[in-house]
Amino acid sequence: MTARERRTRILQMLQLIPILSVLVILFGGALVMALLQSLGFAPWFGINTFPDFSYFGSLWGSQTFWVSLWLTLYYATVSTLLALVFGTMLALALIKAFPGKWLYKYLYKLPLMIPYTVGIALAVIMLSSGGVLSRIVAFAGLIDDPGQFPQILKTHYGWGIIAVYVWKQTPFITLAVYAVLLGIGRETEEAAAILGARRGAIFFRVTLPQILPGIVSSTLICFAFNVGAFEAPFILGGGFPDTLPVVAWRYFNDADYTLQLQGMATVVSIGIVAGVILFAYLWVYRRYERRMGRH
Amino acid sequence: MTQVRLDSVRKQFGNFVAIENLDLDISSGELVALLGPSGCGKTTTLRMISGLERPSNGAIFFDGQDVSEQAVQDRNVGMVFQRYALFPHMTVEKNVAFGPSVRGESKAEIARRIDEILEVVQLTPFRTRFPAQLSGGQMQRVAVARTLITKPSILMMDEPLANLDTKLRVEMRRFIRDLQQQFGITTIFVTHDQIEAMELADRVAVIFDGQLAQYDTPERIYRYPRSLEVADFMGATNIYPGKLLSRNRVRTALGEFDCPHQNDRSVGDPVHVLLRAEALDIKTRPFTSEGSVLRGRIMARDFFGASVTYRVACNDQEIDVTENARRMLDVGDDVQLEIAPEQVWLLNG
Repeated sequence: MTARERRTRILQMLQLIPILSVLVILFGGALVMALLQSLGFAPWFGINTFPDFSYFGSLWGSQTFWVSLWLTLYYATVSTLLALVFGTMLALALIKAFPGKWLYKYLYKLPLMIPYTVGIALAVIMLSSGGVLSRIVAFAGLIDDPGQFPQILKTHYGWGIIAVYVWKQTPFITLAVYAVLLGIGRETEEAAAILGARRGAIFFRVTLPQILPGIVSSTLICFAFNVGAFEAPFILGGGFPDTLPVVAWRYFNDADYTLQLQGMATVVSIGIVAGVILFAYLWVYRRYERRMGRH
Repeated sequence: MTQVRLDSVRKQFGNFVAIENLDLDISSGELVALLGPSGCGKTTTLRMISGLERPSNGAIFFDGQDVSEQAVQDRNVGMVFQRYALFPHMTVEKNVAFGPSVRGESKAEIARRIDEILEVVQLTPFRTRFPAQLSGGQMQRVAVARTLITKPSILMMDEPLANLDTKLRVEMRRFIRDLQQQFGITTIFVTHDQIEAMELADRVAVIFDGQLAQYDTPERIYRYPRSLEVADFMGATNIYPGKLLSRNRVRTALGEFDCPHQNDRSVGDPVHVLLRAEALDIKTRPFTSEGSVLRGRIMARDFFGASVTYRVACNDQEIDVTENARRMLDVGDDVQLEIAPEQVWLLNG
């Protein structure tokens, strides 16, 4: 290696140091600590039974854990899928010219800039029984009293949670897919139309395979967030059994601080489940890519 | 074999008029070039014929049938895009199979036709490759095959030779010509390059600012441009203002010479005289003084291998003369230029 090459190599490493240190020290360290605690290592609480699998044992052994896991995955999956469908539709619409497009392009991004908590507050104002929507429906005479409005929030169907996630994440997916669409241009779609393909065939056989990288990366991010997010299911959810992040939060907040170890086991479980699902998703996608001949 | 007719077609995007009352007749089996500078509306015209754009006014006829309102999928046309627009996620054979497959043809029939068409475009060894693994010329042939397999009644190409290097250009030009003759498809292509238009087309439609400036054979457009603009676009350099001395003699700052008999002009009319650089004969001493003769001195020389172009100063004017490079004259040589009357072309002044 010449001196010049060595200098570029050193410069490269210097550029990597900030991100590496954050990853290794903060994230990696926290991960190790969480794992240690969930396995009974917490001398600062006077507990050290490491290695102790009883925290995982009692967690995974209870029926409510599996209900919580189901709810967590259900909210995350349904909201990600809905946001994907709406986001893709919006991106496909935005790529075409129509009057007032510039206004749309600003408006749709608005939820991206509004915090989740504000979105949750809006959901409470609009969707709760006694909320704006119920009053409008009552005013229109469709129901006699706002109290008769169907329960949207605080049920295990999670419509409120899903509504907030979809509201917040549709623009995110739109942004990602729109950028990819701009990159691929209209020509392949036009070529397909001239070759005789109708709208459906054009979308599923030409457009979708090309925007798939954008779809996969944006849904990956949304799904990972939805699995781990806490405030929406906490405020808008149906109560016990809660989603896993809320369960973890309750353990951490308990007066009995030794339950923090149980909380850590919950957090690690969320990490394992999310990790397995995301890697499986990526694995399937990579296989598809390879089959398509991309690398 | 389809005959195409554009009847006062007009296309407007917002306030911008892309095409203004364009009439165009393309015979069945003909190869026509739409030639013009970028932004003249030629690609818009192609897109309207294909159905990707709808004319704001006027109508488009295929074999006498109005197709202006017909959807692009129903027109059975073919288009080879400038950057080919191949489907990047499909192999060569999947790309080629796309058309028949969306038209619901049987798997066996598609497989048979793919074999056939890949043979025609000589891409059989590349059938499992992806577009990214092909060269520009190969990608173009895939695009052609993908189009031809649908048996289009009209084949359209956007700048078919623009992205190819010189050697490949010659190859592709022959290929397109042969294909067109073999399949007898009415073919329309767009180009901004007059050489490309002349190389390929039976007839050339020159379009300026959304209007048809001239529609004729390449030879006639090159030799007998109807306007200064067309002459300039076709690469003419020797254009001089002048005046008719009689029905068949003209005077310019270069000198006086004979021209073809002018039936539609009268003596004294201002004209522009076009002298094609290769239509002039260049002579060294001893000089004669019969017919249309100009005397001058060589100021510069450009050597192109097969041909050589001299810049000759002549009565305070400059004129380009091109001849085969079988001999080389030197800068500073005194020369005599001769031009046959039938090689002189007059444009309106």
